[in-house]
Amino acid sequence: MATIVRERPGTGSGDSFERDDHGQPSFTFTIDGQTVEAHEGQTILSAAIAHGILDIPNLCNDEKLDPTSACRMCLVEIAGEGRPLPSCNTPAAPGLQVTTKTKKLTHIRRTNLEMILSDHNAYCQPPCQIGCPTHIDIPGYLELIAAGQNREAARLVKEVLPFPYMLGLVCPAPCQEKCRRALVDEEIAICRMHGFAAEQCIDDPPTPWPQEAPTGKKVAVIGAGPAGLTAAYYLALKGHSVKVIDMMPQPGGMTRYGIPEYRFQKDMLDKELDGVWNLGVEYQGYAKLGKDYTLDDLFAAGYDAVFLGIGAWTSNPITFVDNTEASPEDTPGLINAISYLMDKTQGMPVPVDPGTEVVVLGGGFTTFDCTRTSVRLGAKVYTAYRRGRAEMTATPEEVEDGEAEGATLKLFSAPTKLISEGDKLTGIELVKMKLGEPDSSGRRRPIVDPGTEYTIPCNTVIPAFGQKPDVSYFPTHVQGVKTSKWSTVVTDPWNFMTDRPGVFSGGDCQMGAKTVIECVAQGKLAARAIDGYLKGEDMAAISQRLEAEERKPDLISIVPYKPVEPKVKMPMLPYEDRKRNFKLIEMGYTPEQAQRESARCLQCACPAAGQCDLQMYSIEYGLTDNRFHDGEPNDFHDYEVDISHSFILRDPNKCINCTQCVRVCHDVIGPNCYGMFGKGFDTIVSTPFNVSLHETDCVSCGACVQVCPTGSLMMAERELVKYDFALDRCIFCGDCVEVCPHGALGETPNFELSFYNRVGNGVTLHMDDLARAPDYLVDQRVPRRKGDVPGGTNPLIRPLPARRIRE
Amino acid sequence: MPDGTSRALIPTATTLADYQKQRGFQAYQRASGQGAQGAASILEAVRQAKLRGRGGAGMPTATKWQVVRDAVATRGGPPYLVCNAYDADLKSLVAATLLANQPFLVLEGIMLAAQAIGAREAYLYMHSTNRTGYAAVTAALNEARNGRLLGDLTITVVGVDLGFMGGEETTMLEAIKGRRPMAQQRPPYPAQVGLGELPTAIANLETLVQVVNIVRDPAAFAKNGTPASPGTKYVSVYDVAGNGTLLEVPFGTTVAAILKNAGITVGTDTTRGVVVGGPEGGVLPLTQLTTAFDYEPLAQSGTIVGSGTIEVLGPQTCMVDWARERTKYLTEQSCGKCIPCRTGTKRIAGTLAGIMSDVGVSSDLDLLNEFADYVPDGSLCGFGWHATHPLRTALRYYPDDFKLHLQGKCPTGACVPVRSHRFVTKGVL
Ligand SMILES: Cc1cc2nc3c(=O)[nH]c(=O)nc-3n(C[C@H](O)[C@H](O)[C@H](O)COP(=O)(O)OP(=O)(O)OC[C@H]3O[C@@H](n4cnc5c(N)ncnc54)[C@H](O)[C@@H]3O)c2cc1C
Ligand code: SF4
Ligand code: SF4
Ligand code: SF4
Ligand code: SF4
Ligand code: FES
Repeated sequence: MATIVRERPGTGSGDSFERDDHGQPSFTFTIDGQTVEAHEGQTILSAAIAHGILDIPNLCNDEKLDPTSACRMCLVEIAGEGRPLPSCNTPAAPGLQVTTKTKKLTHIRRTNLEMILSDHNAYCQPPCQIGCPTHIDIPGYLELIAAGQNREAARLVKEVLPFPYMLGLVCPAPCQEKCRRALVDEEIAICRMHGFAAEQCIDDPPTPWPQEAPTGKKVAVIGAGPAGLTAAYYLALKGHSVKVIDMMPQPGGMTRYGIPEYRFQKDMLDKELDGVWNLGVEYQGYAKLGKDYTLDDLFAAGYDAVFLGIGAWTSNPITFVDNTEASPEDTPGLINAISYLMDKTQGMPVPVDPGTEVVVLGGGFTTFDCTRTSVRLGAKVYTAYRRGRAEMTATPEEVEDGEAEGATLKLFSAPTKLISEGDKLTGIELVKMKLGEPDSSGRRRPIVDPGTEYTIPCNTVIPAFGQKPDVSYFPTHVQGVKTSKWSTVVTDPWNFMTDRPGVFSGGDCQMGAKTVIECVAQGKLAARAIDGYLKGEDMAAISQRLEAEERKPDLISIVPYKPVEPKVKMPMLPYEDRKRNFKLIEMGYTPEQAQRESARCLQCACPAAGQCDLQMYSIEYGLTDNRFHDGEPNDFHDYEVDISHSFILRDPNKCINCTQCVRVCHDVIGPNCYGMFGKGFDTIVSTPFNVSLHETDCVSCGACVQVCPTGSLMMAERELVKYDFALDRCIFCGDCVEVCPHGALGETPNFELSFYNRVGNGVTLHMDDLARAPDYLVDQRVPRRKGDVPGGTNPLIRPLPARRIRE
Repeated sequence: MPDGTSRALIPTATTLADYQKQRGFQAYQRASGQGAQGAASILEAVRQAKLRGRGGAGMPTATKWQVVRDAVATRGGPPYLVCNAYDADLKSLVAATLLANQPFLVLEGIMLAAQAIGAREAYLYMHSTNRTGYAAVTAALNEARNGRLLGDLTITVVGVDLGFMGGEETTMLEAIKGRRPMAQQRPPYPAQVGLGELPTAIANLETLVQVVNIVRDPAAFAKNGTPASPGTKYVSVYDVAGNGTLLEVPFGTTVAAILKNAGITVGTDTTRGVVVGGPEGGVLPLTQLTTAFDYEPLAQSGTIVGSGTIEVLGPQTCMVDWARERTKYLTEQSCGKCIPCRTGTKRIAGTLAGIMSDVGVSSDLDLLNEFADYVPDGSLCGFGWHATHPLRTALRYYPDDFKLHLQGKCPTGACVPVRSHRFVTKGVL
């Protein structure tokens, strides 16, 4: 057995102890009531870890380094001691009673984290990217636009979304609600920015990656809306042969036939869709599933898989407060919202002109498109909604614009009846609504305020209460595919396959009427599932994989610091110039404006996310808010990053002054590249004279990166030559470990023991120990986060940056 | 020695001849003539005298020396001795005056202590900016060396300028070792593991001067002070205008009496408070001036002996601003090693700045009360443990100053806003 003679400063008590399995003098003490064994000189933290007690947080400790006790995370209470002591530094002693969890300790640890995060000028994962249903690498493309690389920006976006121009105009931008720049001043114009990038290369669009070789598999996509076209796009990139079949003459779905021209011009739609056709995707119009062919017909025609993206095209009827309904077919003056918009976009005559008085009902996209289309046609328009402004699903800009363009808003008003004279509509009676008592879910539903009825004279009423899919023909023509009571297609929630193998569905017809971006997200995921299906993969496994990727990571509140710089506003067509025409109202950014706006992005992306101890503890300790936002410039630090070194990236903004790099580089490796500089609040770990790491004696061993608990030090991507290692021939002599001038082999788990014990304090190692060294060693190692977590599985965790960390 | 209240410092003796006229080195020669027994007798005299360290914390000196001797027995020696003559508090006049006026007295104290613990190497650690003191003490050291008075003891003078933190004992050891001066976690205490990883006794120069007094005349020493803290203490007293006087007062003298002896009259129209203890000391209102100048009574009143500095604050002092200034200073002086001290004090200062600038809200007080405990509880060294006395006493004795500022008024009208907005709490978006 090994005999270990080791002395550690500060503990020479001269007591004699029992010896443990390794021959070390040992004794017992308790941690939270649990008896643990420790050897002389072992710290409480090390003894805890050795006994599987892993929940004492620690940010500045590493087994191979002398403790420094700077982070104050590992504080524990020891019976008889007046104040909490750091377990990383305090030696265990016989009979010690240690408590690791008390309210006070939790408070200190949580506040420590809050303090760190109050001066941590970086962010783990971009919340905007999590907010975006397709999870575009938003900071990535903004950085590219800021650098003037618009085509590359468009390419990056197209990795997850084929229609950046379209979405730049029509997306309600859920990402922007999450933008952290709002903590400084105003959010970034994220949405308009990818529109800008795509517009710059609309005639020569990039593909996200080269198209794969043909697979010989055939997929039919029914419905040429955003969902179907997205699925077609990614399937084609995978080398499958895709045909898109639609009942309408032209592709685009609601984005062509619903969204009016003044918001999104159809010639631009055609240009962007060329990106799909360029991949060899075929289009066939005028072919309606359920009328011209059945699902079985498609399989009979040789398709290997089918994607159903038929949207939600049936307008809900007008519903009065007494729950009666009326439908446009048999009520004069009542217009079907979707047909109205569709006719208008197709240049067909519509029943609204300068003499018309129109009342539009509802609060969504369709409502405001009908409102603003009618205003443009010269009508006098009222828009009535049964709830308040905040509850509208249309974007605030649309509502604002609708009013500014001339519509009159009637909030908290619901229809009670239509008023007709003969077969002519003359008005609508509405009643005021008020908010009722909160229901069981705490939501206050609007209820009728009796006796407040009023009439608006009008000759046209457009109910825009949403749409639902038309699945009337499914039982007979779409064999084996189930629908729900809301008339939606039923699929697996993650792989989008219906009950019929090989048949997938997504978009409005799967969710009920939603937004373009949500449909695109489903189309993309469905394409991946279909690709897996065509390659014979297990559909349950695909479902699991896609679910794991979609899991929303936790966010913490980190105080951003940047000088205030207001948003660059989108130049808009003046209200005056919008009258009686359907000109595009958003005039677009100039390249200079786009660069300026993109450069405002805080680049909330850290390559360490998911492997960072600080992030992990902050999530564990619930740091979802911070009390120190909005300070003065001297309350925070904004350091320059150092990317001059070929292998090691330094971002002092993420440094928590744990000095592990300082110690490992000085004590273990030797070159002594780091030290602490400055004083008081301005203390920071850096290189001597703050030179670039490149200028120091660094030997590029990477030890500092390995010990750094945060993303402050990261390895740049590099290709390592791999050498074969014959485990059956190695006698664990450790010679290789010793000759390596950089201690590189000592860093790998298999060699660590030999490294330490051969060179370390007079330790000799028994043959048995050598024989079982690999297992033994792995057990001995304290788990470190970096490298612990398999990278690359979460799309929200950016891999090591190919570009750079942050500027 | 003192006349019961206060008196000017003992007569100057900057040459060996002068010092010898004042019974200089007699105590040392007597003890050193007795070898090991002499060492034991010094320790015993110090123990009997119940001498407490004058550096601020008030640990019994004999206890510390005993730990050193025990550690030497188990871990080996020889131990080191460090005399802290640094005056971290720039307002403290103690070290500067003692070094300049009585360099031999300080040396004799070092020699006695070294003998008591068996040290062969001692360091005298002082402010490099203290030119007069340095000249006096190096001249004295040369004379003592040439006169072969030091025996086998080596005394090295280390001059540094490390701000307030330079006085913290582990920081001081790091500086002497030639490392970056930053605090180190205790335990292990320097008495066990110090310079060269060997037991190291650290004593303030005033403590060592008192050792000389005790060995010379234990009865005279015992005449003064309180049962818990016998003897006298040097204090630096400042009037509103900032004129300082060094006094020697018996422990237990009330703060009011000390002020009187310094010739300072206080009254509601001239005085808003009296700060006791130096940069980390708390402020006492006039009603608390009956507090005895001694470790425990001062602790009860919310402050510390600290550097022994007593400052009178004028009638225009707003206590919110005073606490802010103090905390801001500490934020700049912290060694920056541990999170609670480095960032905690900064956030306290920022929050106080918000209140002082009339943009605070009442919940800021909860935060301040929370941080008044968090920083000491979490911090690594004495600096952080004591960093919130200014805040705490301001909150405790002057709650109306805070209330008024929260209503947008400065209690004295003296505050000039330094912030345009306060810290706000924001969650994840
Ligand atoms: C007026 C209006 C304005 C909107 N504005 C916005 C906006 O600004 N931003 C936003 O994000 N979202 C907006 N939306 C919602 C958005 O347009 C839809 O969520 C999205 O287009 C749905 O995509 P999809 O691919 O699921 O279906 P759709 O776009 O509806 O496409 C379905 C396609 O299937 C075809 N089809 C249907 N049945 C059959 C069949 N049996 N056989 C063959 N083909 C068939 C249709 O012709 C159509 O081409 C708006 C919706 C409307 C109605
Ligand atoms: S270093 Fe850690 S906590 Fe900081 S941004 Fe990166 S992942 Fe988040
Ligand atoms: S600042 Fe940039 S990365 Fe951060 S949330 Fe906003 S757009 Fe996303
Ligand atoms: S990589 Fe360079 S800086 Fe880091 S520990 Fe190694 S030698 Fe030191
Ligand atoms: S850079 Fe060094 S000091 Fe800073 S967090 Fe990383 S390891 Fe710790
Ligand atoms: S203080 Fe113990 S791990 Fe940092």
